[in-house]
Amino acid sequence: MAIVAIIIRRLLKAARDRKAGHHHRHEHDWSVPVIDACSDLDSVFHKWDPRLKIFSILVYCFLVAALTKIIWAFCALIISLAAVKLAKIPFRNTKRRLMAMFGFLGMFLVIMPLTVPTQPGDLLLFFQPIPVPFNVRGLLVAIRIILKAFAIALIMEPLLNTAPLPVTIQALRHLRVPDMICQMILLSHRYIFVFLNEANRMYTGMRVRGFRQKTNLATLHTMGNFLGMLFVSSFNRTQRVYEAMLSRGYNGTFPVYTDFFARPKDWLFGIAWILLGTGLLLLDRTGAFIIW
Amino acid sequence: MHISDGVLPVSITIGTFAATIALTAVGVRKTKAESLPKVAVVTSAFFVASLIHLPLGPTSVHLSLPGLVGVLLGPSAYISIVLGLALQSLLFQFGGITALGANSIMMGIPALMVGWLFKQLKGTTLKSHAIAGALCGFLGTILSVGFLAALLYTGGEDFLGVGKIAFVASLPVSIIEAIIANFTVIFLFKVKPELLK
Repeated sequence: MAIVAIIIRRLLKAARDRKAGHHHRHEHDWSVPVIDACSDLDSVFHKWDPRLKIFSILVYCFLVAALTKIIWAFCALIISLAAVKLAKIPFRNTKRRLMAMFGFLGMFLVIMPLTVPTQPGDLLLFFQPIPVPFNVRGLLVAIRIILKAFAIALIMEPLLNTAPLPVTIQALRHLRVPDMICQMILLSHRYIFVFLNEANRMYTGMRVRGFRQKTNLATLHTMGNFLGMLFVSSFNRTQRVYEAMLSRGYNGTFPVYTDFFARPKDWLFGIAWILLGTGLLLLDRTGAFIIW
Repeated sequence: MHISDGVLPVSITIGTFAATIALTAVGVRKTKAESLPKVAVVTSAFFVASLIHLPLGPTSVHLSLPGLVGVLLGPSAYISIVLGLALQSLLFQFGGITALGANSIMMGIPALMVGWLFKQLKGTTLKSHAIAGALCGFLGTILSVGFLAALLYTGGEDFLGVGKIAFVASLPVSIIEAIIANFTVIFLFKVKPELLK
Protein backbone atom coordinates (compact mmCIF):
# COMPACT_ATOMS: atom_id res chain seq x y z
CA MET A 1 0.00 0.00 0.00
CA ALA A 2 2.77 2.39 0.99
CA ILE A 3 4.79 1.37 -2.06
CA VAL A 4 1.85 2.15 -4.35
CA ALA A 5 1.50 5.54 -2.68
CA ILE A 6 5.19 6.23 -3.12
CA ILE A 7 5.10 5.21 -6.78
CA ILE A 8 2.07 7.37 -7.52
CA ARG A 9 3.58 10.33 -5.73
CA ARG A 10 6.85 9.96 -7.62
CA LEU A 11 5.14 9.72 -11.01
CA LEU A 12 3.01 12.77 -10.33
CA LYS A 13 6.05 14.75 -9.26
CA ALA A 14 7.99 13.68 -12.34
CA ALA A 15 5.11 14.63 -14.60
CA ARG A 16 4.75 17.98 -12.95
CA ASP A 17 8.49 18.66 -13.17
CA ARG A 18 8.68 17.73 -16.80
CA LYS A 19 5.78 20.00 -17.66
CA ALA A 20 7.26 22.96 -15.81
CA GLY A 21 10.67 22.36 -17.32
CA HIS A 22 12.40 21.85 -13.96
CA HIS A 23 14.28 18.66 -14.48
CA HIS A 24 15.15 17.21 -11.10
CA ARG A 25 15.97 20.52 -9.55
CA HIS A 26 15.98 18.98 -6.11
CA GLU A 27 17.54 15.74 -7.20
CA HIS A 28 20.40 15.89 -4.78
CA ASP A 29 20.13 17.80 -1.58
CA TRP A 30 22.96 16.69 0.62
CA SER A 31 22.83 19.46 3.17
CA VAL A 32 23.88 18.55 6.68
CA PRO A 33 22.57 20.61 9.57
CA VAL A 34 25.14 22.24 11.80
CA ILE A 35 24.98 20.53 15.14
CA ASP A 36 25.61 23.55 17.37
CA ALA A 37 24.01 26.38 15.44
CA CYS A 38 22.09 27.66 18.44
CA SER A 39 24.91 27.33 20.93
CA ASP A 40 25.30 31.06 21.38
CA LEU A 41 21.84 31.68 22.76
CA ASP A 42 21.10 31.94 26.44
CA SER A 43 18.95 29.65 28.50
CA VAL A 44 19.00 27.28 31.44
CA PHE A 45 20.45 24.57 29.22
CA HIS A 46 23.16 26.83 27.85
CA LYS A 47 24.35 27.69 31.34
CA TRP A 48 24.29 24.10 32.55
CA ASP A 49 27.60 22.33 33.09
CA PRO A 50 27.93 20.19 29.93
CA ARG A 51 29.14 17.10 31.80
CA LEU A 52 26.09 17.01 34.04
CA LYS A 53 23.87 17.90 31.11
CA ILE A 54 25.09 14.98 29.01
CA PHE A 55 24.99 12.48 31.85
CA SER A 56 21.57 13.32 33.24
CA ILE A 57 19.83 13.78 29.91
CA LEU A 58 21.23 10.49 28.59
CA VAL A 59 20.03 8.70 31.73
CA TYR A 60 16.64 10.35 31.22
CA CYS A 61 16.59 9.13 27.60
CA PHE A 62 17.21 5.54 28.63
CA LEU A 63 14.50 5.75 31.28
CA VAL A 64 12.05 7.11 28.72
CA ALA A 65 12.98 4.35 26.28
CA ALA A 66 11.86 1.81 28.88
CA LEU A 67 8.30 3.11 29.17
CA THR A 68 5.54 0.71 28.27
CA LYS A 69 2.33 2.70 28.50
CA ILE A 70 1.11 5.26 26.00
CA ILE A 71 0.03 7.85 28.53
CA TRP A 72 3.48 8.11 30.11
CA ALA A 73 5.17 8.19 26.72
CA PHE A 74 2.88 11.10 25.90
CA CYS A 75 3.93 12.85 29.12
CA ALA A 76 7.56 12.34 28.16
CA LEU A 77 6.83 13.95 24.80
CA ILE A 78 5.26 16.97 26.49
CA ILE A 79 8.29 17.26 28.77
CA SER A 80 10.61 17.16 25.77
CA LEU A 81 8.62 19.86 24.01
CA ALA A 82 8.84 21.99 27.15
CA ALA A 83 12.59 21.43 27.28
CA VAL A 84 12.99 22.52 23.67
CA LYS A 85 10.99 25.64 24.42
CA LEU A 86 13.04 26.26 27.56
CA ALA A 87 16.30 25.99 25.62
CA LYS A 88 15.03 28.61 23.14
CA ILE A 89 15.72 26.42 20.13
CA PRO A 90 13.72 27.39 17.02
CA PHE A 91 11.09 24.90 16.05
CA ARG A 92 12.45 24.27 12.56
CA ASN A 93 15.34 22.23 13.99
CA THR A 94 12.99 19.99 15.88
CA LYS A 95 10.69 19.69 12.89
CA ARG A 96 13.60 18.48 10.80
CA ARG A 97 14.44 15.79 13.31
CA LEU A 98 10.88 14.60 13.50
CA MET A 99 10.52 14.48 9.73
CA ALA A 100 13.69 12.45 9.38
CA MET A 101 12.28 9.69 11.56
CA PHE A 102 9.05 9.64 9.71
CA GLY A 103 10.11 7.04 7.13
CA PHE A 104 11.09 4.30 9.56
CA LEU A 105 8.29 5.03 12.01
CA GLY A 106 5.68 5.46 9.32
CA MET A 107 6.51 1.94 8.22
CA PHE A 108 5.73 0.71 11.73
CA LEU A 109 2.43 2.55 11.74
CA VAL A 110 1.28 0.81 8.58
CA ILE A 111 2.87 -2.60 8.90
CA MET A 112 2.42 -3.39 12.58
CA PRO A 113 -1.38 -3.33 12.69
CA LEU A 114 -1.42 -5.62 9.67
CA THR A 115 1.18 -8.14 10.80
CA VAL A 116 1.03 -8.57 14.56
CA PRO A 117 -0.14 -12.01 15.67
CA THR A 118 -3.67 -11.90 16.95
CA GLN A 119 -3.92 -12.32 20.70
CA PRO A 120 -7.10 -12.97 22.70
CA GLY A 121 -8.70 -9.68 23.60
CA ASP A 122 -7.54 -7.80 20.49
CA LEU A 123 -9.82 -5.53 18.59
CA LEU A 124 -9.74 -6.34 14.89
CA LEU A 125 -11.05 -4.07 12.19
CA PHE A 126 -11.83 -5.30 8.71
CA PHE A 127 -11.51 -2.87 5.82
CA GLN A 128 -13.17 -4.17 2.71
CA PRO A 129 -10.49 -4.44 0.00
CA ILE A 130 -7.73 -5.55 2.40
CA PRO A 131 -7.66 -9.30 3.13
CA VAL A 132 -5.73 -8.92 6.38
CA PRO A 133 -7.42 -7.67 9.57
CA PHE A 134 -6.29 -4.38 11.07
CA ASN A 135 -5.23 -5.04 14.64
CA VAL A 136 -5.86 -2.07 16.90
CA ARG A 137 -3.40 -3.41 19.48
CA GLY A 138 -0.73 -3.28 16.78
CA LEU A 139 -1.66 0.33 16.11
CA LEU A 140 -1.31 1.15 19.81
CA VAL A 141 2.12 -0.50 19.93
CA ALA A 142 3.20 1.55 16.93
CA ILE A 143 1.85 4.77 18.50
CA ARG A 144 3.69 4.04 21.74
CA ILE A 145 6.95 3.59 19.82
CA ILE A 146 6.42 6.79 17.87
CA LEU A 147 5.72 8.79 21.03
CA LYS A 148 8.86 7.50 22.72
CA ALA A 149 11.01 8.04 19.65
CA PHE A 150 9.73 11.60 19.27
CA ALA A 151 10.26 12.35 22.96
CA ILE A 152 13.88 11.22 22.85
CA ALA A 153 14.59 12.84 19.49
CA LEU A 154 13.27 16.18 20.69
CA ILE A 155 15.42 16.15 23.78
CA MET A 156 18.53 15.69 21.65
CA GLU A 157 18.24 19.31 20.57
CA PRO A 158 18.59 20.85 24.06
CA LEU A 159 21.36 18.35 24.70
CA LEU A 160 23.55 19.10 21.69
CA ASN A 161 22.53 22.48 20.42
CA THR A 162 23.19 24.44 23.61
CA ALA A 163 26.98 24.30 23.68
CA PRO A 164 29.64 24.47 20.94
CA LEU A 165 30.62 21.03 19.70
CA PRO A 166 34.23 21.16 20.97
CA VAL A 167 32.92 21.97 24.45
CA THR A 168 30.53 19.03 24.30
CA ILE A 169 33.37 16.74 23.21
CA GLN A 170 35.51 18.02 26.08
CA ALA A 171 32.69 17.17 28.45
CA LEU A 172 32.68 13.66 26.99
CA ARG A 173 36.38 13.42 27.69
CA HIS A 174 35.78 14.38 31.29
CA LEU A 175 33.18 11.64 31.42
CA ARG A 176 35.95 9.14 30.64
CA VAL A 177 35.29 8.57 26.93
CA PRO A 178 38.65 7.53 25.40
CA ASP A 179 40.70 10.29 23.84
CA MET A 180 40.91 8.60 20.46
CA ILE A 181 37.12 8.45 20.19
CA CYS A 182 36.75 12.13 21.04
CA GLN A 183 39.32 13.14 18.47
CA MET A 184 37.73 10.98 15.84
CA ILE A 185 34.34 12.52 16.51
CA LEU A 186 35.79 15.99 16.04
CA LEU A 187 37.75 15.04 12.94
CA SER A 188 34.92 13.08 11.38
CA HIS A 189 32.43 15.84 12.05
CA ARG A 190 34.71 18.37 10.43
CA TYR A 191 35.45 16.11 7.48
CA ILE A 192 31.79 15.49 6.80
CA PHE A 193 31.45 19.03 5.55
CA VAL A 194 34.71 18.83 3.62
CA PHE A 195 33.60 15.66 1.86
CA LEU A 196 30.14 16.96 1.20
CA ASN A 197 31.75 19.89 -0.55
CA GLU A 198 33.96 17.53 -2.52
CA ALA A 199 31.04 15.24 -3.35
CA ASN A 200 28.91 18.15 -4.50
CA ARG A 201 31.73 19.45 -6.66
CA MET A 202 32.33 16.08 -8.29
CA TYR A 203 28.66 15.36 -8.74
CA THR A 204 28.07 18.74 -10.38
CA GLY A 205 30.99 17.98 -12.67
CA MET A 206 29.37 14.68 -13.55
CA ARG A 207 26.02 16.26 -14.28
CA VAL A 208 27.55 19.00 -16.36
CA ARG A 209 29.13 16.28 -18.47
CA GLY A 210 25.73 14.73 -19.08
CA PHE A 211 25.39 12.11 -16.32
CA ARG A 212 21.85 11.46 -15.21
CA GLN A 213 20.89 8.83 -12.70
CA LYS A 214 18.86 6.04 -14.19
CA THR A 215 18.15 2.50 -13.11
CA ASN A 216 20.89 0.75 -15.05
CA LEU A 217 24.31 -0.76 -14.59
CA ALA A 218 26.10 2.25 -16.08
CA THR A 219 24.70 4.45 -13.32
CA LEU A 220 25.95 2.03 -10.68
CA HIS A 221 29.34 1.85 -12.36
CA THR A 222 29.60 5.62 -12.34
CA MET A 223 28.42 5.91 -8.75
CA GLY A 224 30.88 3.23 -7.70
CA ASN A 225 33.70 5.18 -9.31
CA PHE A 226 32.34 8.36 -7.75
CA LEU A 227 32.45 6.77 -4.33
CA GLY A 228 35.96 5.46 -4.95
CA MET A 229 37.16 8.88 -6.10
CA LEU A 230 35.57 10.43 -3.01
CA PHE A 231 37.54 8.04 -0.82
CA VAL A 232 40.79 8.63 -2.69
CA SER A 233 40.71 12.42 -2.73
CA SER A 234 39.46 12.58 0.85
CA PHE A 235 42.17 10.23 1.96
CA ASN A 236 44.87 12.22 0.16
CA ARG A 237 43.63 15.41 1.76
CA THR A 238 43.50 13.88 5.20
CA GLN A 239 47.01 12.46 4.80
CA ARG A 240 48.33 15.92 3.92
CA VAL A 241 46.56 17.50 6.88
CA TYR A 242 47.82 14.78 9.20
CA GLU A 243 51.40 15.19 8.02
CA ALA A 244 51.10 18.95 8.43
CA MET A 245 49.86 18.40 11.97
CA LEU A 246 52.74 16.04 12.71
CA SER A 247 55.30 18.48 11.38
CA ARG A 248 53.86 21.15 13.66
CA GLY A 249 54.33 18.99 16.70
CA TYR A 250 51.11 16.99 16.98
CA ASN A 251 51.72 14.21 19.46
CA GLY A 252 48.35 12.50 19.54
CA THR A 253 46.26 14.88 21.63
CA PHE A 254 44.97 18.38 21.13
CA PRO A 255 46.07 20.53 24.06
CA VAL A 256 42.85 21.94 25.39
CA TYR A 257 42.48 23.40 28.82
CA THR A 258 38.79 23.70 29.53
CA ASP A 259 37.71 23.92 33.09
CA PHE A 260 34.20 22.97 33.91
CA PHE A 261 32.59 24.36 37.02
CA ALA A 262 29.67 22.43 38.42
CA ARG A 263 27.58 24.76 40.56
CA PRO A 264 25.04 23.33 43.03
CA LYS A 265 22.33 24.56 40.65
CA ASP A 266 23.76 22.30 37.94
CA TRP A 267 23.72 19.26 40.20
CA LEU A 268 20.12 20.00 41.22
CA PHE A 269 18.98 20.33 37.64
CA GLY A 270 20.69 17.07 36.76
CA ILE A 271 19.14 15.23 39.67
CA ALA A 272 15.76 16.74 38.75
CA TRP A 273 15.96 15.22 35.25
CA ILE A 274 16.93 11.81 36.58
CA LEU A 275 14.12 11.92 39.14
CA LEU A 276 11.70 12.96 36.42
CA GLY A 277 12.64 9.97 34.32
CA THR A 278 12.55 7.60 37.28
CA GLY A 279 9.17 8.97 38.30
CA LEU A 280 7.74 8.37 34.84
CA LEU A 281 9.12 4.85 34.82
CA LEU A 282 7.71 4.07 38.27
CA LEU A 283 4.28 5.39 37.32
CA ASP A 284 4.57 3.32 34.17
CA ARG A 285 5.57 0.06 35.80
CA THR A 286 3.32 0.20 38.85
CA GLY A 287 0.27 0.67 36.69
CA ALA A 288 -1.16 3.85 38.14
CA PHE A 289 -3.85 5.66 36.09
CA ILE A 290 -3.83 3.52 33.00
CA ILE A 291 -5.76 1.75 30.39
CA TRP A 292 -3.08 1.28 27.79
CA MET B 1 17.59 0.84 8.17
CA HIS B 2 18.35 2.04 11.64
CA ILE B 3 16.32 1.18 14.72
CA SER B 4 14.62 4.07 16.51
CA ASP B 5 14.34 4.69 20.22
CA GLY B 6 11.61 2.95 22.09
CA VAL B 7 11.48 -0.21 20.00
CA LEU B 8 13.78 -2.54 21.86
CA PRO B 9 13.29 -3.86 25.39
CA VAL B 10 15.51 -2.55 28.17
CA SER B 11 17.61 -5.68 28.52
CA ILE B 12 18.54 -5.65 24.85
CA THR B 13 19.31 -1.92 24.93
CA ILE B 14 21.68 -2.33 27.86
CA GLY B 15 23.16 -5.58 26.56
CA THR B 16 23.96 -4.20 23.11
CA PHE B 17 25.44 -1.07 24.62
CA ALA B 18 27.71 -3.15 26.83
CA ALA B 19 28.77 -5.23 23.82
CA THR B 20 29.38 -2.08 21.78
CA ILE B 21 31.56 -0.56 24.49
CA ALA B 22 33.56 -3.78 24.71
CA LEU B 23 34.04 -4.08 20.96
CA THR B 24 34.93 -0.38 20.68
CA ALA B 25 37.54 -0.75 23.40
CA VAL B 26 39.07 -3.67 21.50
CA GLY B 27 38.99 -1.62 18.31
CA VAL B 28 40.64 1.37 19.99
CA ARG B 29 43.46 -0.82 21.19
CA LYS B 30 43.93 -2.33 17.76
CA THR B 31 43.95 0.98 15.89
CA LYS B 32 47.32 2.61 15.53
CA ALA B 33 47.56 6.38 15.80
CA GLU B 34 48.79 6.74 12.21
CA SER B 35 45.64 5.16 10.84
CA LEU B 36 43.46 7.68 12.65
CA PRO B 37 43.10 9.80 9.49
CA LYS B 38 42.02 6.78 7.46
CA VAL B 39 39.41 5.78 10.04
CA ALA B 40 38.13 9.36 10.22
CA VAL B 41 37.94 9.50 6.42
CA VAL B 42 36.01 6.27 6.14
CA THR B 43 33.68 7.34 8.96
CA SER B 44 32.87 10.61 7.25
CA ALA B 45 32.54 8.92 3.89
CA PHE B 46 30.21 6.31 5.44
CA PHE B 47 28.15 9.20 6.71
CA VAL B 48 28.16 11.14 3.45
CA ALA B 49 27.47 8.03 1.39
CA SER B 50 24.26 7.42 3.29
CA LEU B 51 23.00 10.71 1.91
CA ILE B 52 23.55 9.64 -1.69
CA HIS B 53 20.44 8.25 -3.30
CA LEU B 54 20.44 5.79 -6.12
CA PRO B 55 17.43 5.31 -8.34
CA LEU B 56 15.64 1.99 -8.10
CA GLY B 57 12.74 2.05 -10.48
CA PRO B 58 10.13 4.54 -9.31
CA THR B 59 11.76 5.23 -5.99
CA SER B 60 15.26 5.70 -4.68
CA VAL B 61 17.30 4.00 -2.03
CA HIS B 62 20.17 5.22 0.03
CA LEU B 63 23.15 3.03 0.72
CA SER B 64 24.44 2.11 4.12
CA LEU B 65 27.73 0.46 3.05
CA PRO B 66 28.68 -1.60 6.09
CA GLY B 67 30.41 -4.02 3.74
CA LEU B 68 32.65 -1.37 2.23
CA VAL B 69 33.62 -0.05 5.66
CA GLY B 70 34.66 -3.55 6.68
CA VAL B 71 36.64 -4.02 3.49
CA LEU B 72 38.55 -0.78 3.92
CA LEU B 73 39.24 -0.83 7.63
CA GLY B 74 39.34 -4.43 8.78
CA PRO B 75 39.53 -4.61 12.57
CA SER B 76 39.01 -0.86 13.07
CA ALA B 77 35.72 -1.03 11.23
CA TYR B 78 33.68 -1.25 14.43
CA ILE B 79 34.82 2.15 15.73
CA SER B 80 34.09 3.72 12.38
CA ILE B 81 30.59 2.26 12.30
CA VAL B 82 29.84 3.32 15.87
CA LEU B 83 30.97 6.87 15.21
CA GLY B 84 29.27 7.08 11.83
CA LEU B 85 26.01 5.88 13.34
CA ALA B 86 26.40 8.24 16.31
CA LEU B 87 26.84 11.17 13.95
CA GLN B 88 23.91 10.06 11.84
CA SER B 89 21.78 9.80 14.94
CA LEU B 90 22.83 13.12 16.41
CA LEU B 91 22.76 15.11 13.19
CA PHE B 92 19.89 13.53 11.32
CA GLN B 93 18.04 11.41 13.83
CA PHE B 94 18.66 8.32 11.71
CA GLY B 95 18.24 5.79 14.45
CA GLY B 96 17.74 6.64 18.06
CA ILE B 97 20.51 7.44 20.50
CA THR B 98 19.34 4.78 22.92
CA ALA B 99 19.43 2.31 20.06
CA LEU B 100 23.04 3.20 19.19
CA GLY B 101 24.33 0.02 20.79
CA ALA B 102 21.90 -2.13 18.85
CA ASN B 103 22.48 -0.31 15.57
CA SER B 104 26.25 -0.63 16.01
CA ILE B 105 25.96 -4.35 16.60
CA MET B 106 23.63 -4.63 13.62
CA MET B 107 26.07 -2.97 11.23
CA GLY B 108 29.39 -3.35 13.00
CA ILE B 109 29.56 -7.09 13.39
CA PRO B 110 28.80 -7.73 9.71
CA ALA B 111 31.47 -5.12 8.90
CA LEU B 112 34.03 -6.97 11.01
CA MET B 113 33.05 -10.33 9.54
CA VAL B 114 33.15 -9.02 6.01
CA GLY B 115 36.51 -7.34 6.65
CA TRP B 116 37.98 -10.64 7.72
CA LEU B 117 36.42 -12.38 4.73
CA PHE B 118 37.84 -9.84 2.33
CA LYS B 119 41.31 -10.36 3.71
CA GLN B 120 41.00 -14.08 3.11
CA LEU B 121 39.56 -13.83 -0.38
CA LYS B 122 41.19 -10.83 -1.93
CA GLY B 123 44.15 -12.50 -3.55
CA THR B 124 46.35 -10.37 -5.74
CA THR B 125 44.56 -9.89 -9.04
CA LEU B 126 41.97 -7.32 -9.99
CA LYS B 127 39.40 -10.00 -10.64
CA SER B 128 39.75 -11.66 -7.25
CA HIS B 129 39.55 -8.29 -5.54
CA ALA B 130 36.45 -7.41 -7.52
CA ILE B 131 34.66 -10.67 -6.75
CA ALA B 132 35.64 -10.49 -3.09
CA GLY B 133 34.42 -6.90 -2.97
CA ALA B 134 31.06 -7.76 -4.51
CA LEU B 135 30.57 -10.70 -2.16
CA CYS B 136 31.49 -8.62 0.86
CA GLY B 137 29.21 -5.78 -0.19
CA PHE B 138 26.30 -8.19 -0.53
CA LEU B 139 26.98 -10.06 2.69
CA GLY B 140 27.53 -6.87 4.65
CA THR B 141 24.07 -5.60 3.91
CA ILE B 142 22.24 -8.91 4.08
CA LEU B 143 23.82 -9.81 7.41
CA SER B 144 22.98 -6.44 8.90
CA VAL B 145 19.36 -6.79 7.90
CA GLY B 146 19.44 -10.26 9.41
CA PHE B 147 20.69 -8.77 12.67
CA LEU B 148 18.00 -6.09 12.37
CA ALA B 149 15.28 -8.71 12.12
CA ALA B 150 16.75 -10.65 15.06
CA LEU B 151 16.97 -7.52 17.20
CA LEU B 152 13.42 -6.54 16.34
CA TYR B 153 12.27 -10.03 17.25
CA THR B 154 13.67 -9.61 20.76
CA GLY B 155 11.00 -6.97 21.17
CA GLY B 156 8.38 -9.67 20.97
CA GLU B 157 6.77 -11.59 18.17
CA ASP B 158 4.73 -8.52 17.30
CA PHE B 159 7.76 -7.31 15.40
CA LEU B 160 8.27 -10.43 13.36
CA GLY B 161 6.18 -9.11 10.48
CA VAL B 162 8.18 -5.91 10.24
CA GLY B 163 11.42 -7.87 10.36
CA LYS B 164 10.36 -10.19 7.56
CA ILE B 165 9.23 -7.34 5.34
CA ALA B 166 12.46 -5.43 6.02
CA PHE B 167 14.44 -8.53 5.05
CA VAL B 168 12.61 -9.00 1.79
CA ALA B 169 12.79 -5.30 0.96
CA SER B 170 16.52 -5.31 1.56
CA LEU B 171 17.32 -7.86 -1.12
CA PRO B 172 17.39 -5.37 -4.01
CA VAL B 173 19.39 -2.96 -1.87
CA SER B 174 21.92 -5.68 -1.07
CA ILE B 175 22.38 -6.43 -4.75
CA ILE B 176 22.90 -2.76 -5.49
CA GLU B 177 25.39 -2.48 -2.66
CA ALA B 178 27.23 -5.53 -3.95
CA ILE B 179 27.54 -3.96 -7.40
CA ILE B 180 28.61 -0.61 -5.99
CA ALA B 181 31.18 -2.27 -3.72
CA ASN B 182 32.44 -4.21 -6.70
CA PHE B 183 32.97 -1.09 -8.80
CA THR B 184 34.45 0.86 -5.91
CA VAL B 185 36.95 -1.89 -5.12
CA ILE B 186 37.94 -2.07 -8.79
CA PHE B 187 38.45 1.70 -8.83
CA LEU B 188 40.51 1.66 -5.64
CA PHE B 189 42.60 -1.25 -6.89
CA LYS B 190 43.46 0.68 -10.01
CA VAL B 191 43.97 4.09 -8.45
CA LYS B 192 45.17 3.62 -4.87
CA PRO B 193 45.73 -0.01 -3.89
CA GLU B 194 47.23 0.96 -0.52
CA LEU B 195 43.72 1.72 0.70
CA LEU B 196 42.84 -1.94 0.27
CA LYS B 197 45.75 -3.33 2.29
